[in-house]
Amino acid sequence: MSNDSNVKIRLNNSELWGGLIGLALGGFVIWSGLKLKLGTINDPGSGYVLFYTGILMCLFAGSIIIAALSEGGPTFGSRWQNTRWTKPVIVIACLIAFAFSLDTFGFLLSSIPLMVLLLRLVDPVRWPLAIPIAVLVPLGMWWILKRLLLIQLPSGIFEIG
Amino acid sequence: METLINVAHGFGVALLPINLLYCFIGVFIGTLVGVLPGIGPISAMSLLLPITLSGTPESGIIMMAGIYYGSMYGGSTTSILVNIPGEAASVVTCIDGHQMAKQGRAGPALGIAAFGSFIAGTFALIALMLVAPKLASVAIAFGPAEYFSLMVLGLVVLTFLTQGSMAKALLMACTGVVLGLIGLDSITAQPRLTFGRVELIDGIGLVPVVMGLFGIAEVLLNTEQVIKRDIMNTRITHLLPSRADWKASAGPISRGTIMGFLLGILPGGGAVVASFGSYALEKRLSKTPERFGTGAIEGVAGPEAANNAAAGGAFIPLMTLGIPPNVVMALLLGAFVIHGLQPGPLMITQNPGLFWGIVASMYIGNLMLLVLNLPMIGMWVQLLKLPYNILFPLIILFTIIGVYCSSNNVFDVYVMIAFGVIGYFMRKLGYEPAPLVLAFVLGPMLENNLRKSLILSQGDLMTFVERPISAACLLFAVALLIGPLLPALRKKRELVALDEGA
Repeated sequence: MSNDSNVKIRLNNSELWGGLIGLALGGFVIWSGLKLKLGTINDPGSGYVLFYTGILMCLFAGSIIIAALSEGGPTFGSRWQNTRWTKPVIVIACLIAFAFSLDTFGFLLSSIPLMVLLLRLVDPVRWPLAIPIAVLVPLGMWWILKRLLLIQLPSGIFEIG
Repeated sequence: METLINVAHGFGVALLPINLLYCFIGVFIGTLVGVLPGIGPISAMSLLLPITLSGTPESGIIMMAGIYYGSMYGGSTTSILVNIPGEAASVVTCIDGHQMAKQGRAGPALGIAAFGSFIAGTFALIALMLVAPKLASVAIAFGPAEYFSLMVLGLVVLTFLTQGSMAKALLMACTGVVLGLIGLDSITAQPRLTFGRVELIDGIGLVPVVMGLFGIAEVLLNTEQVIKRDIMNTRITHLLPSRADWKASAGPISRGTIMGFLLGILPGGGAVVASFGSYALEKRLSKTPERFGTGAIEGVAGPEAANNAAAGGAFIPLMTLGIPPNVVMALLLGAFVIHGLQPGPLMITQNPGLFWGIVASMYIGNLMLLVLNLPMIGMWVQLLKLPYNILFPLIILFTIIGVYCSSNNVFDVYVMIAFGVIGYFMRKLGYEPAPLVLAFVLGPMLENNLRKSLILSQGDLMTFVERPISAACLLFAVALLIGPLLPALRKKRELVALDEGA
């Protein structure tokens, strides 16, 4: 029973998972280096530095994993303890939605809803203040960039902006 | 005499109306980001990097430099009045500065911070003027082996000084090198890690990476917390320190200036280490160390002088060797590269107008900062009242626009958002982004110099240890790598470890 709980604690160890991700990345870099050809020490090829950097990454990731297994480490839950973890999730979701809509709907039609969501969902700003900020700031920026700096922002399929 | 002629030439460049305007914009924005918690100089500089494209190289670099040293000035205001450091180098100023403000001595605290910063900034500029040309003439003799070893040393020093596990910092540095190598190989023109995407042929841009890791990630971290500000509502008077204040502060300002300048030059060092170092030194030298933490003016004067002197000193490795000693200088290097310029030993002789113009503009910028930070203190205090729930959507919008404008490419916006999310999780798991960014900038140069030195030496690795400068750099780097294994050195490292990202 106690062994089971130890395994559980270890699997929830954020340090361990950080190290494993590093190890996987290092492995991928080594593989990429090999694929690109190492060359010789007299004439190093395109993959030479990548290969050795990958080895270093695996070594450092290995030491993180060893430390995580021997000394333990904080759990994922404890990293987000006493924080409003839903707030960054909301911001990330808004940003991803914005990224998907930017090319299709253009800058103005994507950034105004993004601003409304950010102003209202995280630490709600009153509607009478949120709406003018959400509309006027992107519009103002768009006007400055397009008219004064002659920078064309994405206009999307509706060609607005 | 030659230096005086060069300085005069520099003032000729810096006093052009357009350069004066850019200098003012730079120091104004610098003070602004220093004052506002949540946006550091790195985020602001990355945000404004694309704007430098619209003017001459001189104007762009003058503005970027202004943001950096301006933020060092502005950071003290929030530390003293609100007890929240506007940027990482002002963390120490909170300790005694806010205590002084609580005792009704906010004026002298702000005054000595501004005057100390001005004195240190001026000293750093004079030293920069005298040291940089001499170092540049020595640096001409540097070969690829020396450059490679110096960059390795810079990365190791930064990882040594980064908060938390050194293995994590080194892993981040290696990741940065790999990210920097994405794109065409500069020697064989072979595409690397491009995954068939045309957008990656030229590599990942510095602007989306930095804005994501520092700008967006910082916002995500800040939204987790409820940011409360305990702003002093009392009127700030007596900004000019008394004779007794000056007497107590003269020593700390002098020592902080010299220490800060020297630490600023070192690769990997910088304003944050300098301010912590100065505070520790003053506490150790004081006959009444128990006063520190309760409102000792020495605890404000020393660190503020040190962080400004370090900001000036950090220009030396960039201008003379072309090697950025910290992330802020890496961004400045990005600004040089955007304009097709390569800082290094030849820049001072080939482009004297640019070098001396930047140096002279910093004199003028320091004077502007004194005016901005003392008589206009009330305006900055008002700005502190801007709620974060309105500020952060604006920061996000400006970063998106900034990234898009740097390349006119929506792909860079995706890259920035991706790095923002990665940066957030990295910070949550204790992986600092500073080594990654510095390695990202140095990666291609590091690879180039390594491959060149191996080709030149016909594969003889001894080339790195037979050349004295290279050997010394590598020896120091190895000592720092082994150091944390020794308990005594590990403790010291924990004491000076810094959070560059703040």
